[in-house]
Amino acid sequence: MFFIPGQVIALLTFPGVIVHESAHLFFCKLFKLKVFNVCFFRFGNPAGFVIHEQSENFTAQFFVSMGPFVINTLLCVVFCTAAFLPVWELNVNDPLAYFFYWLGLSIGMHSFPSTTDLSHLWKAAPALAKKGNVLAILSLPLSGVLVVLNYGRVVWADLGYGIAVGVLGPIAIFRAFARF
Amino acid sequence: MNQVTCSSCSRGVSSGEAYELNAKTYCGPCVTAAAQQAKDAGQPVSVTRYVDKSICARCSTYIGEGGGIAVGTARVCAPCSQLIQDWPYPQWLKLSLGALLLLLVFGLYHGRGYFQAGKQLYRGEQLVETGQYQKALPYLKDVITIAPNSDKAALLTAKAGLLSGDVQAASLALEGHNKGYFEHTDKPEFQEVNRLWKGANTAFEKLEKASKLEEHDGNEVEAARLVHEAAAAYPQLPHMDIVLDQYDGGVAFAQKDYDKFLALSEKGWKSWPASGTAAMFSSALACKYAVTGEPSFRQQSEDMLAKAKEMAAGNKETLANLAEFEERNRYRLETRQIISKSAYDQKFRGAKSAAK
Repeated sequence: MFFIPGQVIALLTFPGVIVHESAHLFFCKLFKLKVFNVCFFRFGNPAGFVIHEQSENFTAQFFVSMGPFVINTLLCVVFCTAAFLPVWELNVNDPLAYFFYWLGLSIGMHSFPSTTDLSHLWKAAPALAKKGNVLAILSLPLSGVLVVLNYGRVVWADLGYGIAVGVLGPIAIFRAFARF
Repeated sequence: MNQVTCSSCSRGVSSGEAYELNAKTYCGPCVTAAAQQAKDAGQPVSVTRYVDKSICARCSTYIGEGGGIAVGTARVCAPCSQLIQDWPYPQWLKLSLGALLLLLVFGLYHGRGYFQAGKQLYRGEQLVETGQYQKALPYLKDVITIAPNSDKAALLTAKAGLLSGDVQAASLALEGHNKGYFEHTDKPEFQEVNRLWKGANTAFEKLEKASKLEEHDGNEVEAARLVHEAAAAYPQLPHMDIVLDQYDGGVAFAQKDYDKFLALSEKGWKSWPASGTAAMFSSALACKYAVTGEPSFRQQSEDMLAKAKEMAAGNKETLANLAEFEERNRYRLETRQIISKSAYDQKFRGAKSAAK
């Protein structure tokens, strides 16, 4: 295992940071939350942020926190799918394909919500889960897993997730389409 | 920045360095002691940064005491209020998103050939996984025309080719991949194809040796053994059962077991009707006539030879071989003596060559 400073990783994968913060902003606007400040990318820790008001509405909390996870994961699958065949299966040297794969993996790597976002959900979810709130029930295991993965960033869990999504996603899609 | 007064020590302190605890304002040094006192008294302890309500909480513009717009416990100026209510997406972000979408559309259009190849590759892979090797080959051959250096496509094509007996397809796929070079030779997919390929090569070597041995009398048993070994090394070789029967038939002929020779040649003719199998069947029937004198065997032998010639029509080389065989068969039918080709050649043709 080798150590690369977070700022260097963020620089190499800056599209993922921008997409992550854009997704945060998108869901804040969707749920009409006040946004106090936005930074899409900077050389610092964190590499990007969206400061917004805390909502009492759990649905808004869920989507603002988990939105980037969903959006980044989906975009990772989309861009990696566009590049998967020439890069992984066909061994074709196509620069555009490699660009898309870098883009997809960069976006996928920044899928995980911050621990702060997850802790808000973690606190609010149990009471609502007892009342049968589906999002709260869903957010409990999801938050748990994501908190662990967040800590796993020191051992490249974020890159591992990006690669897993960027490889397994396209394989599943193409295998399904090949049947028709 | 405004000055506020610490409620504990009455000292003036910058608003940016002041704190609030239970609705009172404190300087940095006093807030810790005040928090401890509140705690000891059983009061709630919630220390927050002092918010100067005379300046905008976002941009620090002076808005006057009670001015601006309240946002939670803070107050902001009108432009900031507008901004935080509906934070706009920056222009560069919109343009980047648009450019990226255009690039994605172009990329998908540009990569349509890859998608087609990918679909063929997975279809072929699924067919290989279900053992439908012959059916998988056309799909996989299409893929290697687009991506000859794809390890997966080359190995799957080679596997499908070898397991369906199409050694040429396998050879083309392997040779076309970086001139036969594979980087990851430790992968099980490579190992499997390598094993099959070696098996096929071993089989061809043995068949070639058997073919050379068969040219001379007395080698029938050894030749048949080699053919059996070839069949074991590469059982997928097409028509291997017929080749085996032919060599076993040769052994039966040499051992004068004409019933077995007849049975094997008849089996060969029925499973693969061709001029070669017809001629062999004709030869066996002639042998049976020679040893039994039963006219029906002679008639059948002549009929099969006629059929062999009919099936070889247009093929000069086969017709020439049949003409040579017809002469020997005629001798066998006329004299009821069974001699090998080399013995016949020595007796009547004075031939140097004993080739069959």
